[in-house]
Amino acid sequence: MKCDCLMIHYGELSTKGENRKSFISCLTRNCRAALKGTDCVLSGRRDHLYVELNLTSEQEAVNRLSKVAGIQRISPVYKVDKGIESLKAEAIAAMKESGKHRFKVSCHRPDKSYPLSSYDVCCALGDAVLDSVEGSEVDLHDHEVNLKVSIREDAAYLSTKTYPGLGGYPLGMAGKVTLLLSGGIDSPVACYKLLRRGIKVDCLHFAAPPYTSGQVIYKLIDILKELLPYQADFRLDVFPFTKIQEEIYKHAPEPYCITIMRRMMLRIAERVAKARGSLSIATGEDVGQVASQTLDSIYAINEVTSFPVLRPLCVEDKVDVIDLAKKINTFDISIRPYEDCCTIFKPKRPKTKPDLAHCKEFEVRFDFASLIEEGLKGIKTIYVSLDGVREEEPRQ
Amino acid sequence: MVYLDFAATAAPSSIAKEEYRRVSDLYFGNPSSLHEAGYQAKRIFDDACKRVLSCTGLSATHRCVFTSGASESNSMAIIGSALRYRNRGNKILYGASEHASVKESCLYLAKLGYEPVELPLRDGAIDMDALEGSIDKQTILLSAMSSNNETGALTDLSRLREIRRTHPKCLLLVDATQSIGKLPLDLSFADFISFSGHKIGAFKGSGCLLIRKGLLIDPIIHGGSQQDGLRAGTIDVAGASALSVALEDDFKNIEPNLRHAKELKATLLQGLSGLTDLVEVNSPEGASPYVVSFSLLHHRASVIVEGLSERGYCVSSVSACSSKVDASSYVLKAMGKDDRIAANAIRVSFGKTTTAGEVEGFAACLGKLLQEVKRI
Repeated sequence: MKCDCLMIHYGELSTKGENRKSFISCLTRNCRAALKGTDCVLSGRRDHLYVELNLTSEQEAVNRLSKVAGIQRISPVYKVDKGIESLKAEAIAAMKESGKHRFKVSCHRPDKSYPLSSYDVCCALGDAVLDSVEGSEVDLHDHEVNLKVSIREDAAYLSTKTYPGLGGYPLGMAGKVTLLLSGGIDSPVACYKLLRRGIKVDCLHFAAPPYTSGQVIYKLIDILKELLPYQADFRLDVFPFTKIQEEIYKHAPEPYCITIMRRMMLRIAERVAKARGSLSIATGEDVGQVASQTLDSIYAINEVTSFPVLRPLCVEDKVDVIDLAKKINTFDISIRPYEDCCTIFKPKRPKTKPDLAHCKEFEVRFDFASLIEEGLKGIKTIYVSLDGVREEEPRQ
Repeated sequence: MVYLDFAATAAPSSIAKEEYRRVSDLYFGNPSSLHEAGYQAKRIFDDACKRVLSCTGLSATHRCVFTSGASESNSMAIIGSALRYRNRGNKILYGASEHASVKESCLYLAKLGYEPVELPLRDGAIDMDALEGSIDKQTILLSAMSSNNETGALTDLSRLREIRRTHPKCLLLVDATQSIGKLPLDLSFADFISFSGHKIGAFKGSGCLLIRKGLLIDPIIHGGSQQDGLRAGTIDVAGASALSVALEDDFKNIEPNLRHAKELKATLLQGLSGLTDLVEVNSPEGASPYVVSFSLLHHRASVIVEGLSERGYCVSSVSACSSKVDASSYVLKAMGKDDRIAANAIRVSFGKTTTAGEVEGFAACLGKLLQEVKRI
C-alpha cells in the first residue's frame, strides 16, 4: 500500500484568532513554493493542508516541507473509503505494512454525520487488526504504531507515522529584520532561528579590505545558499567598513576599539534596516561569549540606538549553537579560514566592561557621521536565490 | 592582473598545450597495449623520456620515471630507497628548509624505525660543515634542494658532489623543482632528481623522478608493471610529452631567461631599497634570481597580500591569511629569523613572461599600500 498524500498540521497557528486566515494563506504560499517543480497538488483546509503526491515520492515531499516554518508535523496518509468494512481492510493492510505489533487506534471524526462514534470506530478497527495480524497487541501507552483515522466529509484518512515539522510561524508573517552576518558560526544559526520563527531576513556584512579577505563574500554566499530551503531569496548588503575601522584605531585606545567598532556597526545597521523596511536589527551575539558580548559591552554598544535589536542566540551554549550549525550545514563553511573584521584586529586586552562615557569621548575625536554617510553610498548588494547569485554595484 | 607567483605555479605554455592536444588526439592508446595504437603511444612516451634526459644532460647516467609531480617524486625516492636499502643503515639526512614532501616522508620513515636527522642551515641552505659532521656509515640517504622555494637560497653543489663522492653508500636526492630549466646545473652526481611539470609551463599533475641507472628502489604505488614496475598506473603519455617539450624549451632559453630574471630581481631590490624601514629582504646574497623573499616589519603579510591582490598583483604569503592557524615560515625560522619576520614574509617570483614594468608597478604599489594600511 503506497501513501498517496500528506497531511500538514499547523503549529502554533491554531492558537491564532483573527489572523488565522492570513497565516494559513501565507503558509500555503510557502508550501507551494517549497514544492515547486514537483507533481504535488496542494489544497488548504481549516485545520490542515492537504498535499496530493501524484508522482512525487513521499520522502522528497517530506524533505522539502520539513524546511518550511509554521508546520508542526507532516503525516503521510492513505485516503480511503469511509465504509467501516473498507476502513477495517485498510487498517489491517497498514498494520501489516508497518511490520510492528504493539498498536493503538485513535479516531477523529469531523464528519459528525458518520453513523459510528469515534470510540466505536476504534473498537472495530482494533478488533479487526487483532484478528488478522498475527502477534499484534493493543497498548494504549507504549505502542509502536498509532493508527490514526480521521473521518471527514469527503473520505477517511488513515496514517501510521508522522514527521516533525520545523515549527514556528510561516515565513514573512512576522515582518523582516536586518541581520549582521559575519561569516562566523553564530550569525548563520541566528538567521536560521529567525527564519524558523517566520521572520524574513535581510543580511548586512561589514567588509574591510584589505584587512579582511575578499573570499569572505564567497563564504557568505555559500552560507546563504545553505539557508535557501528556509527562505527562497536573500538580500546581502556589503558595507565598506575600511575607513571607519582605520579611524577607530587611529583615535581610540586599543582596548576600546572593538566596542566602538560594534557601536558604529549598530548605527549603520539601523540606517540600513530603516531604508530596507526592517523592523529590527538582529545579531548572533551570545552573552559572555567574547569581550564584546558581555552584558556590560552589550549595554555600552546598544546605547547608540533605540531601534530593537534581536539576539536569538543570547543565552545559548556554544556547543548547542555548533550542533545547530552542523544540522543546517553552515558549520563547515563558517570554519573556513578567512578573516572577518571582528578577528583581524583583535586587541590584546579588549575591554570587557567598557565605560560608556569613555566610548563617547573617543568617538567625538573623529567625524564618524560623514564616514557613515559615505559608506552607505558605497554599499554593494548581492542577491542570493534559488535562481542564482546576482550582484548590484553601488549607485553612486 | 600581474602574476608574480611563478614559484607556486606557471600557466601552461602554448608549446605544452599544443603537444598535449596533439598527443591526446593522435596517440591516445595505452602504451602498455599490444597493438598499433599502444605501440604508437609507447614510442611517444619513450621519446618524452629521451627528451627529458637529453635536455638535462643526463642521458648517459639516468633514467626517467614520470610521476604526478615533485611531491610524489620526493616521496618515491625517499621511501622507495629507504625501504630498499634498509640493510645499509637507517639514518636519513635532510635540510631544515626542504619541501614538506621531503620532511614529511622522512618523518613517516621515523615511524618505521628510521632515524631522520634535520640539518641546520647557513645562508638559507644546508650547512655543509654540519652535514659532514652528521653523515656516517649508517646514513643511507641525503635530501637537498638545489634552490629553496621560499628564498631562492642555493645549495653548494660542489661541496655536495664532494661529499657524495666520499660517501658512496649514501644516496643523494636533489629536489630541483625550483631550478630545473632555470639555472644551468650539473646534477649528474645526484642519484635522484625530482621536479614538477607545472612550474615549467607543463601541466599540474605531471612531474619526474630521474634515477641513476642501475639503482633499484621499492615502488610506493603498486600494481601493473608500467615504467619498469617503479610506478604502477596507466601512463599519462600526453602529460609526459607536454612536460618534455616544455622542459626542452626552457633549457634552450636558459641563458637569456636567467639574464632577464637577474634584471627583474635587481629592479625589485631597487624598489625595496626605498622601503628600508618597512621591509627586510630574506633572500640571501647570491640566491636564485627567480625568487625574492622579504618580510614586512610593521604590517601583516596577509593584509598586504590581500591589498595587493585587490590592486591586481598576485604574490604569495607564507600561507592563507588567518589568525586562527599558526602561519609562519619554517624556512625563515630555520634561517634564524624571529617569529614576526617568519610570519610576515612575502614571496615574489618571476617567470619568462614577467616584465620589468610589472615589477616596477608592483614595487610602487607595495610602497603605497605600506603607507596606507595600518601597522601592527
